[in-house]
Amino acid sequence: MIEIEALEFHYPQGEFHLSIPRMSVGQGEKVAVIGPSGSGKTTLLNLIAGISCPQQGTVNVAGQIVSSFKDAGRRDFRITNIGFVFQDFELLDYLNVLDNILHPYRITRALKLTQQVQQRAIDLSNGLGIGDKLKRFCGELSQGEKQRAAICRALLPQPRLILADEATGNLDPRNKGRILDLLFENVESHGASLLAVTHDHELLPRFDRVIDFLEFRTGTAA
Amino acid sequence: MNAKFWQIIVSILLAVSFTASADEKLSVYAVNYPLAYFAERIGGSSVNVVLPVPSGIDPAFWEPDASVIAEFQRADLILLNGAGYAKWLKHASLPRRKLVNTSAVFQRDYISVEQTVTHQHGPGGDHSHAGTAFTTWLDFNQARMQAKVILSALKKQRPQQADVFIQNYTSLEKDLVSLDQALAAIMEQDSNKPFIASHPVYQYLARRYNINLKSVMWEPEIMPAQNQWDALQQLLATHGAGWMIWEGQPDKQSVARLDELDINSLVFSPCANTPEEGDFISVMKNNIREIEKAFQ
Amino acid sequence: MINSLYIAWRYLVFNKVRTATLVACITLIAFLPMALQLILEESQQLLQSRANSTPLLLGARGSALDLVMNSLYFDDEVPEIISMQAADEITDTGLAYAIPLYIRFQARNKPIVGTSIDYFDFRNLQIAQGRMLAVLGESVIGAVVAEEYGLAPGDSIVSSPDTLFDLAGAYPLKMTVAGILERSHTPDDQAVFVDLKTAWVIEGLGHGHEDLSRTRDSSVILNRSEDSVTANAKLFQYTEITEENMEGFHFHGDASIYPLTALLVVPNDAKAATLLRGRYLENQQYHIVRPTEVIQGLMENIFRIKRVIDAVIAIVGLATVLAITLVFALSVRLRQRELTTIFKLGCSRMTAVKLIAAEIVIIVLAAGIICAGLLHIVDANAETLVRMFILN
Repeated sequence: MIEIEALEFHYPQGEFHLSIPRMSVGQGEKVAVIGPSGSGKTTLLNLIAGISCPQQGTVNVAGQIVSSFKDAGRRDFRITNIGFVFQDFELLDYLNVLDNILHPYRITRALKLTQQVQQRAIDLSNGLGIGDKLKRFCGELSQGEKQRAAICRALLPQPRLILADEATGNLDPRNKGRILDLLFENVESHGASLLAVTHDHELLPRFDRVIDFLEFRTGTAA
Repeated sequence: MNAKFWQIIVSILLAVSFTASADEKLSVYAVNYPLAYFAERIGGSSVNVVLPVPSGIDPAFWEPDASVIAEFQRADLILLNGAGYAKWLKHASLPRRKLVNTSAVFQRDYISVEQTVTHQHGPGGDHSHAGTAFTTWLDFNQARMQAKVILSALKKQRPQQADVFIQNYTSLEKDLVSLDQALAAIMEQDSNKPFIASHPVYQYLARRYNINLKSVMWEPEIMPAQNQWDALQQLLATHGAGWMIWEGQPDKQSVARLDELDINSLVFSPCANTPEEGDFISVMKNNIREIEKAFQ
Repeated sequence: MINSLYIAWRYLVFNKVRTATLVACITLIAFLPMALQLILEESQQLLQSRANSTPLLLGARGSALDLVMNSLYFDDEVPEIISMQAADEITDTGLAYAIPLYIRFQARNKPIVGTSIDYFDFRNLQIAQGRMLAVLGESVIGAVVAEEYGLAPGDSIVSSPDTLFDLAGAYPLKMTVAGILERSHTPDDQAVFVDLKTAWVIEGLGHGHEDLSRTRDSSVILNRSEDSVTANAKLFQYTEITEENMEGFHFHGDASIYPLTALLVVPNDAKAATLLRGRYLENQQYHIVRPTEVIQGLMENIFRIKRVIDAVIAIVGLATVLAITLVFALSVRLRQRELTTIFKLGCSRMTAVKLIAAEIVIIVLAAGIICAGLLHIVDANAETLVRMFILN
């Protein structure tokens, strides 16, 4: 699913440097990425998602060389192929849960908001246990509910790859397990791959594989 | 052929409309018969003169109702006698523009009369209203002036008919002047000859023709009460009149009792309302013949 | 674009106070100058058409504007008083006819216009119900007066006591409504018309005499002797002229010195108008004005003031636009995180611009609709507003 070869990246300013000679994630694989703060885990996610471009090397996601696209192409690729789950959920307070889940469809032309999509959003939210809270605003939700909504948003466009950046970081221990279960469940049922950056070492055994970032990093974080 | 046809139609229409506007009579309302008569004489066929006072009622004290006042309001001209004549005018609403005060030209010569009705306004004290004698037309020279005012009012309304009006007026004026001269000639015989008027309506007549006239407050058709006879006796002591002038045919009893006092009766009708017989001129001629009796 | 509008709409709904404030600001800044313009145009039309239909006015030397405002629009500022004699003087010139006006009293806050029947002909006022004035004590009322107070022919209306001029002990006069005029969309709709003589009765110049010997209320009698009864000023709450007491009503003194506020002078033709104005040029007592000129002068002054107001509004408008720009700039900064998120999700930077643009479109549209609604209300009530703000 992900094939990275001879990747070299540094920010225009600063001394941070990321170098990945080779890394791959297979179809349906659930991989955790660990490493100390500033080791470039988020940068890796940005490179895979096409938010940033490497100076050298290739990032191949689902058989496409992401770094070879132009900006618009990368965005369309991202919104159709990749689902993002953030640590702070990044839900919009002025939209209700349903509108938040449907939001990707409203901000890009690459996705078309149809009746079926709406129905799928409802089914998905039912599956994640927030089907009765679709009309609520995010301010009225608990942390766990918020992350469920965020997962719904990530899954709705049926991406082939889910990128989770500290997705369980702000949850209490009981919720961590349950959210991870939900994430795994849905990734599996969609046949997608999961690349999750995490600090929760107790959760690592549940992943198929763990990549430790200390392997790749040279230089210091900006 | 077609053009000719239309030309004829148009000229017929024009002719009809012109005749119509010329035929439209001026609506003239008057407050008493003399004015109505003068207007009719001067205006001839171009005017429609209305005196809405029912016969037998003195126009000076008549009260029109709202619908008659509305008729007055719609008239082209409203002829007023002036000199406070027709008390209903005091509280009626009439269009100023249409009012013609026929006696305004000689208003300096109005005769004031003391009225006997006095009343109080708060603790301020009594006062009485100075009244004005209003039978202006019994001075035929004044009548002529009033007629002349009517003439100019009509001329102003219908300038295109001025010539006819002037012609009509001249004929009326001749009649009035001859009345004036006839009466003056009779009175010249003896201007000191004392007369008594049954009612104070002959002020202008007396002034113009030098009539030595004193007045009582009698009504022709009512036998005077005893105190009125006493007042007459008192008056006769200083004013030895042999004739009493009545406004209308007097009551036979009154005439008989006057005879006992050696006072003869004669009728001089002010002719304020439409006469039963004749017109203004013939009534006045009659009046003059009556007064002539006193000198035979 | 529909999606952007939807998101913008949700954002605006969520931030109600901010939205309402912005809409209110834009509405006000757009509405004020337009409403002002509308009212001024209406008042110009109203004032001008009335002035144009009034050839000349004669009044006491003094403010021409007061004279015109009182005589044409029945403003309650009473000009210097003239006398009836002035009317005769005009008639005597043979150049014009004069319609006397005595506009000084009020009945139920509506002006009482004392005039002669000629006024109705001149203004082409027709009776819609009832009949024209016939006798003393009657009134004919404008359509609006009838409507506002639910008056019909046969009802009555009482003049307001005028404490300032009550020295003669004049009592309010109860007047019968003889007729109601057809609506003319002029100040005549707002007036109570009476005969001049009736107006003089209100002033106390004409009066009747009640039969006091039958009065039961002993407190009104100052002195009762066998043949005379003196009453004090308490006698009536109002005077009423009835068929029975009408004959007793009378005026004291010479009618030619009775008061008027103005004469509406209708010259025979343009030449007569010029001659007449020339004759009164040097007159110490009176002056003749052309209402059209006076109103033109007034409108010029009003529009001069309006230009100043417009400039102020323009500056305030500019300040508002700047403030609104600032509000949007700040809200973009507040929403930086949201914008980063949607960028990460895969939308272009332009989307942010689209969202803001959609917001502006909605706000401006809402302000525009409210503004149009308000202007419509102003337009529908322009006549009333003009009467409220300009004519009073």
